[in-house]
This record gives sequence, C-alpha cells and structure tokens, in this order.
Amino acid sequence: MAYNHNHGAHGSQVHAHKADIFCRDEARVDWHSKALWMLREKRDRAAGSIPEWEQLRQLGSEIKLHTLTHLAQYLETFEQNCIANGIKVHWARDGAEHNRIVHDILSRHKVKKLVKSKSMLTEECHLNPYLEKQGIEVIDTDLGERIIQLAKMPPSHIVVPAIHMKKEEVGDLFHEKLSTKAGGSDPLYLTRAARAHLREQFLSADAAMTGVNMAIADSGTVVVCTNEGNADMGANLPKLQLHSMGIDKLVPDVDSAAVLLRTLARNATGQPVTTYSAFYRGPQPEGEMHIIIVDNGRTEMLKDKILAESLKCIRCGGCLNTCPVYRRSGGYSYNYTIPGPIGIAVGAKLDDTNSIAWACTLCGSCTYICPTKVPLDKIIFHHRRLKAEAGKLPYGKNSYMPLVGKFMASETMLNCSMSMARTALRILPGSLLKPFSGAWGKYRELPVAPNSSFEAWFKKHRSL
Amino acid sequence: MKIALFIPCLVNQMMPDVAIATLELLEKLGHQVILPAGQTCCGQPMTNSGCFDEARSTTLKLLNAFKGVECDAIVCPAASCLVAAKENFHEFDKSPEAKAVIDKLYELTEFLHDIAPIPAFTKRFAHKISLQLSCHGIRMLSLATPSEEMGPRFNKVEAVLANIPGIDIVYPDRRDECCGFGGTFAVDEGAVSAKMGKDKAQAHAATGAEYVVGFDPSCLLHLDGMIRRQQLPIEIRHIAQVLNAAL
Repeated sequence: MAYNHNHGAHGSQVHAHKADIFCRDEARVDWHSKALWMLREKRDRAAGSIPEWEQLRQLGSEIKLHTLTHLAQYLETFEQNCIANGIKVHWARDGAEHNRIVHDILSRHKVKKLVKSKSMLTEECHLNPYLEKQGIEVIDTDLGERIIQLAKMPPSHIVVPAIHMKKEEVGDLFHEKLSTKAGGSDPLYLTRAARAHLREQFLSADAAMTGVNMAIADSGTVVVCTNEGNADMGANLPKLQLHSMGIDKLVPDVDSAAVLLRTLARNATGQPVTTYSAFYRGPQPEGEMHIIIVDNGRTEMLKDKILAESLKCIRCGGCLNTCPVYRRSGGYSYNYTIPGPIGIAVGAKLDDTNSIAWACTLCGSCTYICPTKVPLDKIIFHHRRLKAEAGKLPYGKNSYMPLVGKFMASETMLNCSMSMARTALRILPGSLLKPFSGAWGKYRELPVAPNSSFEAWFKKHRSL
Repeated sequence: MKIALFIPCLVNQMMPDVAIATLELLEKLGHQVILPAGQTCCGQPMTNSGCFDEARSTTLKLLNAFKGVECDAIVCPAASCLVAAKENFHEFDKSPEAKAVIDKLYELTEFLHDIAPIPAFTKRFAHKISLQLSCHGIRMLSLATPSEEMGPRFNKVEAVLANIPGIDIVYPDRRDECCGFGGTFAVDEGAVSAKMGKDKAQAHAATGAEYVVGFDPSCLLHLDGMIRRQQLPIEIRHIAQVLNAAL
C-alpha cells in the first residue's frame, strides 16, 4: 500500500538509522518539512499579532510551575470539586491501571463501541489495542486520528497526527476502507466521506472518551479543545462520558486556563483559539461522567528539577513544527509515542535505543517557541548526561569519548595528529581520503587544509 | 585595551585565517593582543554528548591557560565554543579565579558591539553577503533576536557590519533555522545533518550573495563542505575576515 512505506512502524532501532531511511526520499522530506514550516509561519503571524505574547509565555510558564510545585494540593481540590459536581474520579498509577479502570467502567455499562477524541495520554497508555483485545470497538473521531487508525499506524505528530500522509494516500486508504471512489483525493470530497462515516459512529456509540487539555482545580472542570467538534459530538450523545488526563494537566482556576487557551492554538496552528473549547463540569441528565487521573511516571519526573519542567507542556506541538530534525526525520524515527523535542524530553528515559536524546542539534528553537517556556534544549542536554552516567551512550560514544577526552586535553597529541591530518588533506587525493572520512565526507567535501596552525603562525609573525 | 585571544582548537588547526583576521582587526583598532599558551578544546564535543567526566581535564586545561593572564578581555571568534567554555568553566571550577576568567569572556561580535565598537571603517567592502545566524550565538549569547521571539528586535551582527561602505546584507529564507552541524551530530546523524546543511547552503545561495558570513566557524566549515559538494556559487567568510578587509 502506498501509504505504508518502510518507515511506518515503531521498533528499537536508533534514530539515525530511521532518519537515514526517511531522508532517502528527498522530495518527501522537502514536502514534510515545508508542510510543518507552514504551521511555524502561521504561528509566527498569530503570536506576532498579540503585543503581550512574551508576557503570556512567561505567565503560562509561571502558572504551570506554580501548579506543579503545589500539585498534591491542587489535585485534591480538583477531586473534591469534581465529586461535588457529580463526577466520578479515578486514580491510575500507570498505563495498565488506567486501561483496567477504563475497561471496568465500559464493561459495567456493557459498552460495545467507544468513540474517542484525540488524547496523547491514551496513546501513551496504549489503550486502543487493550480495549480491542477485550472486544470493545474503539473509533478515533479526530479526522487525522481516524486516518491513521484506519491505516493502522501510530500518530506521527501530536496535533496533526497524519501530517506524514499525502492526500492521494488518504484517498487510496479511504477507497479501501470507506469505499470512496478510486483515485479520489480532493480534500473536500474525502472530508465529506469521513464526516458521513464518523456521523454513523457517533450515533451508534455507547460511550465517549476524550483527552483533557486543562483541568481546573477550583471548579472541578475539564477543558477539551478540538477543531472538529468531535469531542463534543461524542460527549453529548451517549450518556456515558470518560475523560483521561495526566496529573500535569491541572491549573488553579479558569483565569489560568484562559491564559493557556490564548497561546495553545496560536502556537499550534496559528488560530486565535481552537474552534471548540468545551468546559465539562458534570454529567448529562441521567448520564455518568468519569475522570481518570494518570501518573505513569510523572511523579518520578517531578523529582528531577530539570526534567520536571517538561511537565509544563500543554501539547501544542509548536516545538515539533519548528524542529529542523523532526521535520527532516519524521515522527516515526523517535522510538516513542510522542516525537520531536517534547517527545525526547518525556520519552528519552524509556528509549531503549538510547539515541533519541541525540536526535537534536541543541539549536534551541523549540525552547523559544514553547508557550510555557519548557527549556527543551536544556532538558535534552540533561538527558544526555543522565544516559552517559548510566553508561548508555549511542553511536559508539562509550568507547571513543574517553579517548577524545584524553586527546583534546593533550596539546602534543592534538598538534601532532592535526598537523598530520592537514598534510593528508593537502597531499592525498580525495579518493584515498574518502573511506577514512566517514559520515563527514559521505555528504560533504572535506575541508581545504591550511599549511599550519594559527599558533605556529603566531609564533612566526608575533614573537611571544 | 589588552586583549587575550581565545582561539578554539578547530579555528587554530583548521581555520587559522579566521584567527589571523581576528588578531589583525583588533590590532588595527588599537588593541594590544596576546595569545596565552596552552589552549586546547572547550570540552563541548564531550559535554554535548553527555560525557562530563571526559570533558573535565581538557576544559580545566583551557581554563588554566587564561587564569592569571593580565588582560581586559578574552575574545573568541567562535560563538558556540565560547558558550561552551563559559558553561564548562563554571561546571568544573567554581573558584573566584575561574569566575574572573568567565567574566572576561566575549565572543568577537559581542565584544565589538557591546564593549569596544569600531569607530569607522577605512575601506570599502562592496559585496553582497548573506548572514548566517548560528543558533548558539543568537539563542544562547543573544547576538540577535531569535525569529521565534516576538516584540522589539535587535541584531548585533548586522549592527557591527552595517556601517562598512558598500556592503549589502541579506538573509536566507528561514533565516535562523539551524544549519545542521551540531558537533558530533554531524557524524552521528549524518543524513539529517547533511539535509539541513544542504537546505541552508541552498537558501544562502538563493539570495544571490557572494559570501555566507557568520560568527561560528564550525557551522561555516560544515556549510563550506555542503556548498562545495553541491558546487553552489557562494563562499564562506567569517565575520572577522569581512571586518578586517574593511579596516
């Protein structure tokens, strides 16, 4: 199938290997990079239209930091207010417990079909395969999510999950799965087909589930943002509604939520606000509303002062759009559910290839883009140190870095060998040097070597 | 002023012309310039790989080369190495002597903008140049407002170059997107690094400029390799070389 090319699956291979495969189709890399850069440009225009943008970022950062440093208190307040609002609150230590809780609720109501709106948390917990194994049909209702669900692929981006697929590929997929006409790839035609298909799913669902963008402690409210209204279509049709959230989603009050709402969509897609920003604070008449609050490693992350700041993230995806490495290596190269800078920040610890922390030039663009000032480059840098301390380095660094350390610290070794290298570069033909120049020479011309070092020049021309 | 040069290993070994231009331009401006002996690497290749233990001895050796050296400023023509030196010196030595060194560290452009501005240029440099706004210089040293940041903008690099008679300064598309060098990233992640470098080289060439001018020699060396591989009609120049030609 055209859409299922060879970099379409997760697996324990180093980032550089998967990126190398992605880069072989240069036209596709250009297309992918450009599509995401367009989002970056839209973001720049939207952010630039607000004079107080940088103040909003600072405020957003402080709101999240404050909440995280008083998290236990806010979680308890939130739970009490939810209960007072008639909401049932559940606590899950990890993904497995979350999935069991969801399944218990669904089986008690004999749910056969669940409609779900976008939630990176349920991706993190691998909820869909778990429920499907228990015989429950799960329908992702966000258009992008539905596309990748039909294609049996994970999301390649946290906001635009099917960004890696071209419209022709979606057309082929819909032709196969939704019986649209062969070769039909007009976006309007495909969207209408998806709408009709999803409408049937909404009407026949027994329960609805959503992710949570913000959880407001002082009123027991969850905020759910979508552009398609699919979360609301779901939550308002069946009588049973479930909302899954990480403990990091808490904010103190509605004013705090409003600050984050002003930056979320602007930073994600350049929209002033998401088309639908729904505030749910209780079940429907004769309905049931459940909130599942998940830890899954977050408390552990809070213990490290640097890593803790990654929990300020509001999942706008802005760091992915600006990341020059993500745009040129694709969402499936990261060995974690969440790709890009924030994916490295929250996923590097679990990365058994120990390579995603190095899928970064430390350019810092993500840190400057972030609406809550998550210091992503510092976090990624910190992950490298943690990996090194644990002896888990990729790309042969465990063996060569100690040598580099000794080499660089010795003037004699550095001067002798660099002098030899310069001579080699000057006198030997390129064909002879190429096999020894590795990845540098594979992609670039070797440097034109000078005759001497500056130090030698200085000694000759300026007596010390 | 009395200035001690901090010449990072890459510049010393592979781009001595950049160091010579730095020395000459500072001398032309009337400064007394010295080169403290015993300089090695700032430790960045190791710390950027997470290997702090391996970075310790080389970093301290470099720091010791400057400790006790009588000077008003330590000037370095490489932004990324300068940032790493500042951070690593502090990481491995928290003594007042180390702080005295750190407080005197300046990147060349920063020095010429903030500390000792160039009063006037004497020669024309009638060329179109495309500025390479390397990441660590702008996002860690604040040499210019990063494109991500909103509000009032400044650009020290352009400000230092702008008064050169005849100069025409332009920028590539995606003006401060990373060029893909990234130290060991260039070899660890060869394919992505090369694609980033190729895109950046092409964006510079598309401006029609004769030179890509930047303040970070490592990015320039990487771009030079990409430019020559693709046979693009543009050459790299360090900002010190342009300034020196106009003095």
